[in-house]
Amino acid sequence: MSRERRRLRMPVDTGRTGFWIDPRTKMVILLLCVLSAAMAPSLHYEVLLVLLITCFGIACRKVRYSIIGALAYAAVYFLTIAALKTHGSVQVMLAAFLGLVHKVYPCGILSGILISTTKVGEFLSAMNRSHVSQKIVIPVAVMMRYIPTVREDWHFIKDAMKMRDISPSLKSFLTHPGMTVECIYVPLMMAASKTADELTVASVTRGIENPKPRTSNVQIGFGVWDVVVTACFLALFLAGQL
Amino acid sequence: MIELRQITFSYKGNQTGREGSQEGPEQGKGGLQNVNLTIQDGECILLCGRSGCGKTTITRLVNGLIPRFYAGDLSGQVFINGQDIADYPMYEIAEHIGSVFQNPRTQFFNVDSDSEIAFGMENEACPPEEMKKRVDITAKDLDIEHLRGRSLHELSGGEKQKIAFASVYAMNPDIYLLDEPSSNLDMEAIGDLKRHLALVKKQGKTILIAEHRLYYLMDLADRIVYMEQGQITGIYTPKQFREIPEARREEMGLRATSLNTVHPKTAIPVPSVPLLELKDVALRYRKHTVLDGINLTAGAGEIIGIIGHNGAGKTTLSRALCGLHKNSDGQFIWNGHPQSNKGRLKRSYMVMQDVNYELFAESVRAECTFGIRKAPPGFVDSTMEKLGLTPYRDKHPNTLSGGQKQRVAVAVSMICGKELLVFDEPTSGLDFDSMRQVAELIRELSAAGKIIFIVTHDYEFICRTCSRILHVDYGRQCEDFPVSSITENQIRQLFSM
Repeated sequence: MSRERRRLRMPVDTGRTGFWIDPRTKMVILLLCVLSAAMAPSLHYEVLLVLLITCFGIACRKVRYSIIGALAYAAVYFLTIAALKTHGSVQVMLAAFLGLVHKVYPCGILSGILISTTKVGEFLSAMNRSHVSQKIVIPVAVMMRYIPTVREDWHFIKDAMKMRDISPSLKSFLTHPGMTVECIYVPLMMAASKTADELTVASVTRGIENPKPRTSNVQIGFGVWDVVVTACFLALFLAGQL
Repeated sequence: MIELRQITFSYKGNQTGREGSQEGPEQGKGGLQNVNLTIQDGECILLCGRSGCGKTTITRLVNGLIPRFYAGDLSGQVFINGQDIADYPMYEIAEHIGSVFQNPRTQFFNVDSDSEIAFGMENEACPPEEMKKRVDITAKDLDIEHLRGRSLHELSGGEKQKIAFASVYAMNPDIYLLDEPSSNLDMEAIGDLKRHLALVKKQGKTILIAEHRLYYLMDLADRIVYMEQGQITGIYTPKQFREIPEARREEMGLRATSLNTVHPKTAIPVPSVPLLELKDVALRYRKHTVLDGINLTAGAGEIIGIIGHNGAGKTTLSRALCGLHKNSDGQFIWNGHPQSNKGRLKRSYMVMQDVNYELFAESVRAECTFGIRKAPPGFVDSTMEKLGLTPYRDKHPNTLSGGQKQRVAVAVSMICGKELLVFDEPTSGLDFDSMRQVAELIRELSAAGKIIFIVTHDYEFICRTCSRILHVDYGRQCEDFPVSSITENQIRQLFSM
């Protein structure tokens, strides 16, 4: 009973209400984010970019995820500041590594927000309208759907490791790297190939390959928010290039 | 009308007839030899037989997955309404044939139930107004209005399976194909599935269903097709089928046709010395209490079946018994001493529903010592011998069948010296032979003095193995009683029979 109630408290909105942006807009802002991060002129600019992404994430109702992402970035930021104060080969090594993190991190966190807020149906309709080939769209759709199952798989694998007295922690990763990697990698790959097969089978037997112009349960289309969000990311990108 | 004409098929190389998730690749499994079958419109056909007999292969031929998705050598033709389906693309076949599969976790494509029900119609380019109407009708017909607008990740396995069926129903196909749809369902969900099938049958649809659990289909099936090693060796009417004597049926590797003939086997005497004791245990998930008020004692050799609805907290309880679920109150006492999570973790082992998650190494022998400190080689070999794993010692665990994988996991638990074992749905998707073997294995473990918990929905299996039943539902422990002919009625009530 109590479980039932808990579920009912979390309704999923099926229609478009409030802040909603089109999957095509999402692809554009992801591209802008990649460009901004790659061509970022300074560390402070990167901070602005992450702040913008955090605000966007909160607007998408991914509050917890965005804040954790921002805090983790703050940690990386201070580490970078500290690294710059060191000297010699240590600095070179740290700077090279952290530089890479700064390029990839904003795109990673934005992709996380985008994927978790896009329904497969929306994505398929949007791609269908932009006449993107099904050879690209269907594998991407299967992949999007597959990501949440990885988390479930990970819980099972973690349990299995604990029962074998191999703790899935950073410490064991450092002391027995080979074994720890094998423990995660082998079952995850096994589960992945099975899951991907089953998902594909379930989708093709329901006609995902149908070339007819797809309709959608959720109406997609551009609105005022698409303009606002694109403008924000574009402005930031241009500001970096001045 | 569906017509299979002179079909001979074998899976290519490693691609195998995985009869459900539990079945591992084995040479020559799942192929067909010279199969002829004609199914009239509106008929309900049940395909049965051992794992790997080719029943799943038949469903895959009809929905076109063979040869488009599963490659192999195929000769012969499949006709639907007189037309060879080899001439049509998958998406056109999908408009006429709806398929429901075994695993509820990997059948849905959307995050919310409404989108999922509409998914097939979206692909067909159904106009939005009609789609809305059709989703409403589907929810009403199948009585799943309470599942609308929900996140699919929060639904139980049985509820997900209902959505999968609804999604097919919404497309309104002429033919329904189901491949072991009941494997992960509890008795109540199986009852709902039966009602849904009866509804589509009344609408004049053709149903083709491959199953191990037979009892729920006896009133629905018009013909029962029995297969052996890729060939159809018998076609029965339900009346003829019911008349097959029990001994013969078990020889054929089939499950019971009616649960009314299944009774608990002789009870194992309950040991007097309690080894494990749970005192006022409450389990929480974040701040929410999942299960409350668990009090029980268990002695060495007891086999306790944990039953309850999908989503009643059985998994949380079994994880807590193994020390994997930390958020709990109350005491776990072993041999008079309170146990921490770590202590429980050392003592217990869970054989998961999907055993693949706990197999890590490249050979069975390596698996048996993987990560185990101080495993005496002699003991490892004798354990493998005892469980009949010696012939497979150099094989990769992933090439074994589901039942054999379970044995490997059990071997690991014995080598680690675990004293408490939890089996999570050990018989889902297993045929009669494998179920009997699992039952024997568990009885052997019990004779060796282990305490065993089994989470299961399988009435036949409980009757064969369990000495006691622990019923959890509505967030608490409801009942705890021994399995015997005296308590048979009580058990039947729990399974709403």
